[in-house]
Amino acid sequence: MRGSLLGKGLLVFFLLSLGVHYVWAQDILRGFGPESFTDYFRQFSEIIVGDWSNSGRQFLALVPKLKLYFLVVLVGVPGLFFLHYLIIGPKRFSHQGEKILYYGPLARLIHWVAALFFTLLVVTGLTIIFAKTFGGGSLVRISRKIHLLSAFGFGAVVVPMFLMWLRDMLPAPYDLKWFLMFGGYLSRKKQPIPAGKFNAGQKMWFWLASVGGGVMLYTGFYLYLFEAPLKDLRLFVLIHNFLGLAIVALFFTHLYMSLFAVKGAIQSMLSGYKSAEEVSVLHSKYYEKLKQGRS
Amino acid sequence: MARMKFICDTERCVACHGCVVACKEGHHIPVGINRRRVIIINEGKPGERSISISCMHCSDPPCMAVCPAGAIYQRDDGIVLVNKDICIGCGYCLMACPFGAPQFPKNSSFGARGVMDKCTFCAGGPAPTFSEKEKRLYGQNRIAEGKVPLCAGMCATKALLAGDADVISKIYAERVARRGNGLKEKIF
Repeated sequence: MRGSLLGKGLLVFFLLSLGVHYVWAQDILRGFGPESFTDYFRQFSEIIVGDWSNSGRQFLALVPKLKLYFLVVLVGVPGLFFLHYLIIGPKRFSHQGEKILYYGPLARLIHWVAALFFTLLVVTGLTIIFAKTFGGGSLVRISRKIHLLSAFGFGAVVVPMFLMWLRDMLPAPYDLKWFLMFGGYLSRKKQPIPAGKFNAGQKMWFWLASVGGGVMLYTGFYLYLFEAPLKDLRLFVLIHNFLGLAIVALFFTHLYMSLFAVKGAIQSMLSGYKSAEEVSVLHSKYYEKLKQGRS
Repeated sequence: MARMKFICDTERCVACHGCVVACKEGHHIPVGINRRRVIIINEGKPGERSISISCMHCSDPPCMAVCPAGAIYQRDDGIVLVNKDICIGCGYCLMACPFGAPQFPKNSSFGARGVMDKCTFCAGGPAPTFSEKEKRLYGQNRIAEGKVPLCAGMCATKALLAGDADVISKIYAERVARRGNGLKEKIF
């Protein structure tokens, strides 16, 4: 009697717990049954594709156009200056008479070392962008190496250059006036142009070359190391190229201004002296300050 | 014209990494370069799945679109290849690729990247077929020999299918039809 009672009790207990077992069994076995493919592929694509759908698409939309943008700058900027030279013509100043010391020997040395590395960077950088035109291969690969080595050289010299000229390159209120009259380059008259030791255009070039150069060094270093998430590398490529575009444009401007727009302007960076007449016109504020200091 | 494709059947792949080893051995690929790799999800847990990934030989390859040197080209049968004589190793292809297929050796001077290396679908490269140069730079040319790529040929469970898209997608569709629809089924 007692045995059958126990049996009945167990049977009742088993029947009562059947519902619970059913839920448990489903829970355990669910993991082994076939799941929806879409769930798996969503997980796979998170690992494999990652951030591509955001940064990759942006990268893909912009990078093939870079060559065209650089071509526009390479042809457009010198083209504009050529027209300027024909229509308005260069400024000429007498190189006789009083001379003013503008750049000391150290400043000139730093400038020319920076200029050497900078020119190498621009030329090799353009070689990489137009690699297809050069046929790729070892020529462009060597350019990449020169680009890398010159970056280290430029990085070493940009710091003293930045500190040396920082005080003279800080923005001043008359810089706005300089921009409004395009630095006086659109007229042939020799009127005093509001500018300190450096005019607003030179200041723009300074900040782009030093701070912009710093950004180029940072992004370029990671593009060389390749040790950053792909998402960041894509951004670095875009920053490096678009900033490079601006730098190439102002690099040509710098060349035109020193070699053609102001006749003999390059002499001041070779000998260190500018003629008093040139300073009184192109750097009038600085000239006034010098005169006040003397009298 | 046949259009070459890879399909990896995730219900069959057992993550043995045989495809990776076959590729590395068969092409003498240096350490640090992985033309093919296996991705595993939910490892050691219920719902573990794995997939073998390499260059997918896209029909509109993003790597080809961004290459500044014009080193990447596509054959008529859809296989995307790189010309290592032209490649400059800039790495834009890796940034454009959704699958992380392009690989770069770090054995050049100054620690700079060497030229890009990626899955060739075992179709060699632009160098003359079966030449010493082709073998050295790109590995075997099994397509020219009339064989399937090493990875697919090695695959023990036949999870990895390689070949004409029409043919292999038919095989895969038949498998899926036989297996059921992949939806959750009640057990009791």
